[in-house]
This record gives sequence, structure tokens and C-alpha cells, in this order.
Amino acid sequence: MNPQTIKKLRRFREIKRGYYSFLFLVGLILISAIGELLVNNRALMVSYEGSWYFPTYSDFHPGSDFGLGYGYETDYRELQKVFKAAGTGDFVIMPLVPFDALENNSSTGIYKPEAPSAEREHYLGTDTTSRDILARLFYGTRIALLFSIAFMVWVYAIGITIGCAMGYFGGVFDLIFQRLIEIWSNIPFLYTVIIVFSVIPATFANSTRIAILLTVMVLFSWTGMTYYMRTETYKEKSRDYIAAARIIGASHSRIIFKHVLPNVMSTLVTFMPFTIVSAISAITALDFLGFGLPVPTPSLGELLKQGTANLRTAPWIVTSAFLTLVVLLTVVTFIGEAVRESFDPKKFTVYK
Amino acid sequence: MSKVLLEVQDLKMHFPVKEGILLRTSKYNKAVDGISLEIAPGETLGLVGESGCGKSTLGRCIARLYKPTSGSIKFEGEEISLLGANALSAYRRHIQMIFQDPMESLNSRHTVAEIIEEPLIVQNMGDTAWRAKRVKELLDIVGLPARSVSRYPFEFSGGQRQRIGIARSIALNPKLIICDEPVSALDVSIQSQILNLLVDLQKEFNLSYLFIAHDLAVVKHISDRIAIMYLGKIVETGDSQTIYRNAQHPYTQSLISAIPMPDPHRKVTRQLIIGDVPSPIAPPPGCNFHPRCPRAIERCSVDVPQLSASKADSTGLVSCHLVD
Repeated sequence: MNPQTIKKLRRFREIKRGYYSFLFLVGLILISAIGELLVNNRALMVSYEGSWYFPTYSDFHPGSDFGLGYGYETDYRELQKVFKAAGTGDFVIMPLVPFDALENNSSTGIYKPEAPSAEREHYLGTDTTSRDILARLFYGTRIALLFSIAFMVWVYAIGITIGCAMGYFGGVFDLIFQRLIEIWSNIPFLYTVIIVFSVIPATFANSTRIAILLTVMVLFSWTGMTYYMRTETYKEKSRDYIAAARIIGASHSRIIFKHVLPNVMSTLVTFMPFTIVSAISAITALDFLGFGLPVPTPSLGELLKQGTANLRTAPWIVTSAFLTLVVLLTVVTFIGEAVRESFDPKKFTVYK
Repeated sequence: MSKVLLEVQDLKMHFPVKEGILLRTSKYNKAVDGISLEIAPGETLGLVGESGCGKSTLGRCIARLYKPTSGSIKFEGEEISLLGANALSAYRRHIQMIFQDPMESLNSRHTVAEIIEEPLIVQNMGDTAWRAKRVKELLDIVGLPARSVSRYPFEFSGGQRQRIGIARSIALNPKLIICDEPVSALDVSIQSQILNLLVDLQKEFNLSYLFIAHDLAVVKHISDRIAIMYLGKIVETGDSQTIYRNAQHPYTQSLISAIPMPDPHRKVTRQLIIGDVPSPIAPPPGCNFHPRCPRAIERCSVDVPQLSASKADSTGLVSCHLVD
């Protein structure tokens, strides 16, 4: 690895706040990758009549598999109680939070927010339709992170390609794209989202809807990246090492991929955490307005919306959603600051 | 001069100056305005001029980093000024360039091995093992240790970096190297080392140089012939010793009188030029040099002088009304 890069990484590690935030976020991502083992209404393990079952990632087991008299999916929490009462040595191990994000679990049979209760294992209470808030927060955060990473990848891919081409080829190509981008960025984003989602039929699957939302958001966000890429490419292109590459007969693609991009990318890294922050904020805001991820997808914005609507009767909803959002955004911002600080080439410059 | 390696005829490079919201071309920056020169195999032509006189532009036109506006560039008798990108790549092998600032001209993200190997990869020469061997060989030629291969340009001193640049430029066994002020960015003590290296390489590989500089003392050391450039035109050419001893053009005389002499007792009568170089966008009428010329006569502001045979040198040319 380039010793300059090593030095930058070392500097990043020295900035404790950012470094620990980074470790925390990586940990969070790893945990959410195996989230089904921690927050789920399927048992981790079922021991029934001497054989073991691991239903977490497997196909669903109807209740009849475990001697319950129904053909739909087993209610493992119920099964645990049944086994305990029978005392035959069969047992069920449930995850830490034995609820799914989409599951209504009301103690009274009426859907309404219920306060946090360790006894009922709703550690952060339930929301207006009696879904476990911790489960919804957990999966909501996971979706927000995945969504914003996918958003970042697409925005950068499009922005870098077009911006770099504008800067590298310049001339008429640059001029035309600049005007197109100016026109494009004047289309109001929110209206477009509202129109798009009122037009697409309700029969579309949720994953398709999420993909459409992602596409619309990316289409309205890539332009910002091109400004930066365009000027940076212009700057790098006029330097002598590019002339040196041209003089040995290097092709355009070789110059772009071997010379221009690696030199521009190092500063691009510093934008990434902030792009994630803005993506999380944007998706949360859209969810709050009701134009974001389709129901019943768990999301922070949707919880905030419920929470503000029931602020007096169920303050636990908004509290936990708010804290999660604050922690998440702060952590990513800390990382961003540390990255920017450690990648700053003017670290040792003194201004007088 | 038996055979001509490079022949430049009436070369012009006019950069359009764009103005207004519609970016219409209103004027041209005449950086190179009708230059003719020849370089023989194994010869060094020194090109001297002030900053902004177009000498680097001329060098870059010959290296075909720019497409000249008009005129012809013949390399070994073949016209190359109009070639497109694909046809150029074969010719790239023969003309290479050394740049002024080695920090700028070496990609700081690549190792020395990658930098020197790149020309060989681009020109499809040899396999990986052969190229690795060739890189070591080139490092040895320019006087750098073989262990430099895995290091990065910023780990070297200025002179060493310039050696890396030189190694890259000779990697393809070129016939002509355009040296664009290769020592201007270096310490004086390092300058002579690099100049001597260039002279040694020339002897060993029969290279021709177009040596661009603004320092006449440096050019004299290395050149067989010298061309003096002023505002996009050549004002005087000739054998380097003759020019140094018996300059004809007032501009050349001023440049020579400005060379510092390492002798405290010698009284020098300097012929100083006053004022700045006029803009190449709106050059003065008549002789380009007349507003600053200490000996300008009325004719100088009307007639454009042409290059004609110099009295001092049988092969020299000078463009001045006063020498006729």
C-alpha cells in the first residue's frame, strides 16, 4: 500500500472519537447482518422429541411439526410455554428479542401502544399497532443503513462517471452536460416522489417500491457529485504527469483509470460519511412525511411520525426513535470528521 | 549535419481566447507564430527565451501534446503534425519528453517501478519479467539504486526525481527527447549532475535533444546550436559558441550580457532590457522586440524582419533590420 495512504490511516486511528465511532458502526453493521439471530420471532433452536431444529434461516415449520394442532407457522413463544408446562425435556431457545418487526403482539387483543415491559419482553414498548419497537428500530436502522449505502454507491458511480467525463473531455460535451444538469436540478424532488408513488399501482411488491424510491433519490442526487468531479478532473488533467502519460501513448481509458481517478478518489473518500448522513436524514424525512419506504417496512421516520402523533399517550415511541437517530447520525458524522481531518493534505500547513 | 531527424516548417500554435457568455473566439494567443527549425541525429538544439515566449508550447507541439494550428512537423521525413491519436502512438516511441518539475510530472500514487514500466506496458513491449529487468537496467543507467523500485516519488530528492523522469523518457529508446527546462527546478549543484547525465546518455544512445531553457549559461553547456526565441518567433539561431561570442540580434546581446560572471574585478557593461514582454494576444506591429529594443529605428515599428543569413556564422540566421 502507498505509504501516504498508510500515514492517513494511522492518522485516522489517532483521532479517537472518529476511530471508535467507526468501530461502533462496523460492529453495528456486523450485528445487523446477523440480526435474525438476535431479534426474531423464530426460535434459535427447538429440541423436540430428541431431534433439534434451527428454524431461524430455514423454511417455516407448521405447528403440527411440534405437536401443535395447526398447519400455519409455529408461534415459538407459545411453543416455549407449552414445552415448559409439559416438562418433558423438550425446550425452545428464543432470540434476545423474541419479536419480529412486522408482528402485532397485543396483551389485550386491542392494538394500542404499550409501555416498555421487561416481563413481556417488549423492552422498548410497542407502537400503535402493538408491534415491538425495539424490533422495528433494529430492522429500521438496518434498512436505513443498507439503503443509504446503496444510495451512496449509485450516486458516486453516476456522479463520478459523468463528472469525470465532463472534466476530461471538456469542450462541447462539458457545456451540454452542464446545461442539462442545471435544468435537471431544477425539477423539484419532493413533488416527483409524490407523483411517482401516486402513479405506481398498489400491486407492486414492497421491494420493487423500495427500488423505485432509491432510483428516484439517486436520479436527483448525482448532480452534486459532478461539480466536484468535473473541477478536480480539470485540475488533474492539466498537470504534467498526465502530459507525461499522453506522451508515452497512453489511451484515454488508461489515463482516466490509472492516473486521474486514483488521484481524485482520495479526496472523494472524505465525502462518503456525509453522503450517508444525508441519505439517512433524507429517507427518515420522507418516511416521516409518508412518502418514503412503503408500509409496513420498519423505519425510523415512520416511528417518529407515530411518536409525535402520540406524544402524550406514548412518549416511549418518539424517545427511542429519536435517540437512535441521533446516535446513528452523530456516529457517522464523527467518522466523517475524522476521515476529513486525517485525509487533509494541509495538515502541516501553517497559515499566517 | 548529414541527415535531418526533425524538421519544423512555419509552425503556428494559436490558442483561441474565448469571451462573453457565448464563448466566442474573439482573439488568438499567438504562442508560437511561424517557427522553422531542424535537428540532426545526435544533435542538441538549445531553445532559449523569456517566460511566456512560447518555447514550452513549441516543445509540446513537437511532442504532439498540442495539435498545431498550421505548419508542418516532419520526423524522419514523415509528416506528423496532422496525425490522429492512433497513428501517433507509433511515433510516440521516438519522441519523448523530460519535464521541468519532476514532482508534477511523476504520478505520486505510483511506485518508481510502475512509473518507469508504464511506457513499456503502453507500447506492448516484452513480458512482465523482461520489463522488470529493463526497469532495473534503466535505474542503473540514470544512477539510481535498484532498491528504488518499490518506493514512491516523494521519497526522493529533486535531483533523484528528475533521474526517474529521465529513466522513463529513455525507456522506449527514443531518438529525440524534448527537455522542457529539465534543470530549472533544481539546485545549482544538482543541475550540473543532471546536465552531465543528459550528455552521457546522448553519447551512449545517440539521442537528439531539443533543450528548452531560460538560462543561457545552462544551454551553452549542453547545446551544439542555439535558437533564441522572443514572443513566438525565433530571432536568432546559430552555432552555440558563435552566438555566445558574437551575437547579432540586440535581444541575444542583452541576454548574454545578463549572464553573471564569476569574476568580482571585471566591470560589466550590461545591456539591460526595460519593460515586460508584450502580450502574445496583441503583439506589437513590425518587429516584436522593437518596444524594448535599445537600438530600435523607425523601420522596426513598421516592417516585420525576416530570418536571413547571419554575418557571424555560416549556418546562423538572424531576424533584425539592423544587421542588414
